[in-house]
Amino acid sequence: MTAVAENQPSGSKNRMTSSLRPHADAIAAFIARRPAADDALFDKLALALFAFQFEHNPAYRTLCTHLDSPAQVRHWRDIPAAPAAAFKELELTVLPPADRTAVFHSSGTTRQRPSRHFHGAESLAVYEASLLAWVGPHLRLRADGLRQFHFLTPPPDLAPHSSLVRMLETIRRAHTGCAAGFHGVLDAEGGWSLDMAGLLAALTEAAALGQPVAVFGTAFNFVHLLDALAELGQRMRLPAGSRILETGGYKGRSRSVARPELHRALSQSLGVAPECIVTEYGMSELGSQAYDAVAGQAATRILRFPPWARALVVSPETGAEVSEGGTGLLRMVDLANVASVLAIQTEDLAVRRGDGFELLGRAAASESRGCSLRTA
Amino acid sequence: MNLPDCFLADLPPEATLTPSILTEACRALRRNREQHLAVRSTSQIVRVLSEVARDWLREEFQFRRLALEQGPALCGFPQATLAAGLDAFFGQLTPEGFHALLEQELGGTSNLDAFGGLAHGRGLARGPELIVHVTAGNIPVPALHSLVLGLLARSAQFVKCAQGTSFLPRLFAHSLREADPRLAGCLELAEFPGGTRALEEVLFAEADCVTATGRDETLADIRDRLPVKTRFIGHGHRVSFGYVSRDALPAGGAAACLARAADDVVAWNQQGCLSPHLFYVETGGAVAPEQFAALLGEELERREGAAPRGEVTVHESAVISLKRDFYRVRMAAACATRLWHSEGSTAWTVVFEGDPRFQASCLNRFVYVKPVADVAEALRAADAVRGQVSTVGLAAGGTTARDLATALAVWGVTRVCPLGRMQRPPLTWRHDGRPSLGDLVTWTDWEI
Repeated sequence: MTAVAENQPSGSKNRMTSSLRPHADAIAAFIARRPAADDALFDKLALALFAFQFEHNPAYRTLCTHLDSPAQVRHWRDIPAAPAAAFKELELTVLPPADRTAVFHSSGTTRQRPSRHFHGAESLAVYEASLLAWVGPHLRLRADGLRQFHFLTPPPDLAPHSSLVRMLETIRRAHTGCAAGFHGVLDAEGGWSLDMAGLLAALTEAAALGQPVAVFGTAFNFVHLLDALAELGQRMRLPAGSRILETGGYKGRSRSVARPELHRALSQSLGVAPECIVTEYGMSELGSQAYDAVAGQAATRILRFPPWARALVVSPETGAEVSEGGTGLLRMVDLANVASVLAIQTEDLAVRRGDGFELLGRAAASESRGCSLRTA
Repeated sequence: MNLPDCFLADLPPEATLTPSILTEACRALRRNREQHLAVRSTSQIVRVLSEVARDWLREEFQFRRLALEQGPALCGFPQATLAAGLDAFFGQLTPEGFHALLEQELGGTSNLDAFGGLAHGRGLARGPELIVHVTAGNIPVPALHSLVLGLLARSAQFVKCAQGTSFLPRLFAHSLREADPRLAGCLELAEFPGGTRALEEVLFAEADCVTATGRDETLADIRDRLPVKTRFIGHGHRVSFGYVSRDALPAGGAAACLARAADDVVAWNQQGCLSPHLFYVETGGAVAPEQFAALLGEELERREGAAPRGEVTVHESAVISLKRDFYRVRMAAACATRLWHSEGSTAWTVVFEGDPRFQASCLNRFVYVKPVADVAEALRAADAVRGQVSTVGLAAGGTTARDLATALAVWGVTRVCPLGRMQRPPLTWRHDGRPSLGDLVTWTDWEI
């Protein structure tokens, strides 16, 4: 479409690697500096990455129909966002096939075509740096003498395409002083369930040891755990300082529980203080994650991304950013998406709250109203 | 809104309905019917209804003014949409329209008054003493239509409106009350959430006949809770589409057809079961299906200037925005897809898709155009919704229209109408292909 693109030799591995590396390095350096909110540098890095992706990601370029040149975009807020759904239809990546060492699929029912977010060595390094730099201070993984991590997901070899499992494995590898275990298994349909006996035994043992633990899992896996405890008539008292990280929705894999109720039930059944339960918002299409609290601190429960990933809440009607307290669709500009597309239009409705947002949930999940949906 | 407290739906929101209030209301309805409605003749009822309908067509009529002033805020439709919908509905309620209905449904205009001559002997029709209507309320006119049929049947009626949907039914009931207070004494309206079982049980126990529109699960739930003797008339979720034959698109002569297609998209902002989700357009005509889609976009843009869609909820807007994104991606993926839409708003959207499979729209002036070689291909493509299609708006030349209508009928479509009139069913419309007034009445046959 552009002269620049047409003049690119069809990506030899070396050329691609060498052109991605400067962006990956600059962004990794930005993350390492833990910037408070360096708007000028963020803007510069974002625009440079956008220009790179526009040129090297042909599928993304086809979505930017109104642009002839990346230079037409002058501010990071104006970078064209790729719909999250585009990861299902298109290969949104700057990586030639030989460089794609990992791919993250969206969760969801097996009938749907999953999203495919390709990664290579450099983009994975940025992904891992991004997640560690933000989960660390929110879960306070190096404080309070945390000794054990319990993951309610299957291990990486059973879920090689899960970005969540990759994240947990990255956390495990970065905290070698902590014992860690994956307690998830695959059911007959390939869905995630729990090795309940093993998990209960591990948590019981941890409770007896008296050293705080961190438990990570999806909302539906936590519901399964709560249901199992209820059936046994059991409650646990995990040691003081223990925390929980809860993420994701239900996707029909368990009954749905409103988040405050889930947190109350987790607090009651596992003996974890409510302020030590942290919610994460993440998706396979994004390199960065948002958290709604710092473990152990009273929080307003506003989700916040790190300074290298900016969230915009935009009016679906006009595409303009909503004002404070307004509702709209969440749009992300995430520098950690070095090898795909940094600007992503999510399908989630959110309320703009200060420097963060409150999540309302998936907009597309709603039925169209049709004839009769308001009877009830 | 300054309406006197005549109906339960007029009470302030803090007023709590109780089972005993509803029981008493149903008994009062029956008493009033006995005294003031059962004794009326069909021609008297027709006269009152026709006069009230004529009033509703007058711009200065106070209830119409109220509907148009407050309707946008209270029912979520802009003034122009409401005005067009009210005109279409009340324009049907004429003595001639009623006579046609009575002839079609009961074989004569006075068979509710006295034994009338039928093909074999004589017959006298009676309506149920008390009908309870459970209305969906996504658009307001079906509730009004039900009330009109019930009055013709001389039935007392209790309308249970879905939450937030009683505004226009109330205005209609008040307009009847102004014209004929005793008649209106045989009507009651209330608004409470579906599934309020204690209240519903009272209504279901009191009713002789229950009509309901809603999801299949809602209908099944209601039917299971009715006494065996109680008549149940349920109308489930239906979808509709338009069909444009190649001979309806002569070279340079597509404008009228496009205007009619736009009429159907704009009417009630597609919120009713009779509104089109998509248009099947035959290939091989002077205007190709893809061009039809582009031109329909232009027509919808003009409509937005003349009769804007109005605001929708952020949720509805988000769904439209995401659907547009989805089809943009499809276009980029080189699928046979094209997209036209309003700029800076979600006011209208036309999606052309080469894949003819039936696709439900997210509504609010979002419509698909799909090419087909012939009606057989369209019906194969719509197989997933077979048995759930209410209306097909048809644009076809005189000679092909009959064949197309026959093919649609054999497949199971219950209403074929000219394109442009999908949301304007006549008074004689048979909902879901069933008799309307005819399904309400019980006959006494007198064999001579």
